[in-house]
Amino acid sequence: MTGGPIHIRVSRRFTASAERVFDAWLDETTAGRWWFATPAGKMQSVKIDGRVGGKFHIVERRGDDDAEHFGTFIELDRPRRIVLDFATDAHHPPTRVTIEIAALREGGCELTLSHDIAPEWAEYKDRTNQGWTMILESLAKTLGG
Amino acid sequence: MVLDQSQAGARLDAVFHALAHPARRAMLKRLSAAPQNIGELASPFAMTFAGASKHVRVLERAGLVKRKVEGREHVCAIAPAPLKTATDYLNRYERLWAASLDALDAMLKEEDAAARKRKRKSK
Repeated sequence: MTGGPIHIRVSRRFTASAERVFDAWLDETTAGRWWFATPAGKMQSVKIDGRVGGKFHIVERRGDDDAEHFGTFIELDRPRRIVLDFATDAHHPPTRVTIEIAALREGGCELTLSHDIAPEWAEYKDRTNQGWTMILESLAKTLGG
Repeated sequence: MVLDQSQAGARLDAVFHALAHPARRAMLKRLSAAPQNIGELASPFAMTFAGASKHVRVLERAGLVKRKVEGREHVCAIAPAPLKTATDYLNRYERLWAASLDALDAMLKEEDAAARKRKRKSK
């Protein structure tokens, strides 16, 4: 799995099975408890059409503003893989999120989420697997910042 | 936590665009050690002076490099502030996803605890 040159990656282990973790992304009744949920925010509405080509729309009230999250499911391969396009503004081009879920031999699963932040910035001459956070941080470090 | 790309601004676009090219990243790494003139920047890349100058202009537009004219030479120095802005931007997204996954883990564990409780009661 490789993202574009500007991407972030987050991994997490779960004691729950890969199937349960996969299903959580498509469950409209419970997703509002965690997906884009912030401690101080108040979930306003959660709509998920959990099919390939289906849309989701998650709105959380944060202070005086509504934080909106729009998206479309591109690939659904239960329980291994979810690919979705995602934007925080309907007028902006979406960014691609790839979620891979691997069942672990000892039980539970490991989820790896990769988010291509900005495909429009990508120059595909560069196919390194180095994450951008790493590149930026190593540069910042050399600068003593 | 506001993650509106429109608010991230044109400056951030310029920074990521500048950083998306491996030659420009290599230039920044060299500049992080010491300021260099355009000829010095061009030499390790088998690059023409004009080619190097073009890359420097992209870095300048992003605010990553400051150019000082000393006599006939153009001396380039790195300007670190936009790097921090870009890192902060990526870190915000990373925190958003990390927080979501933490909350998902907590929810699944709560469900398990509730299921165990029900099981004990039914015994």
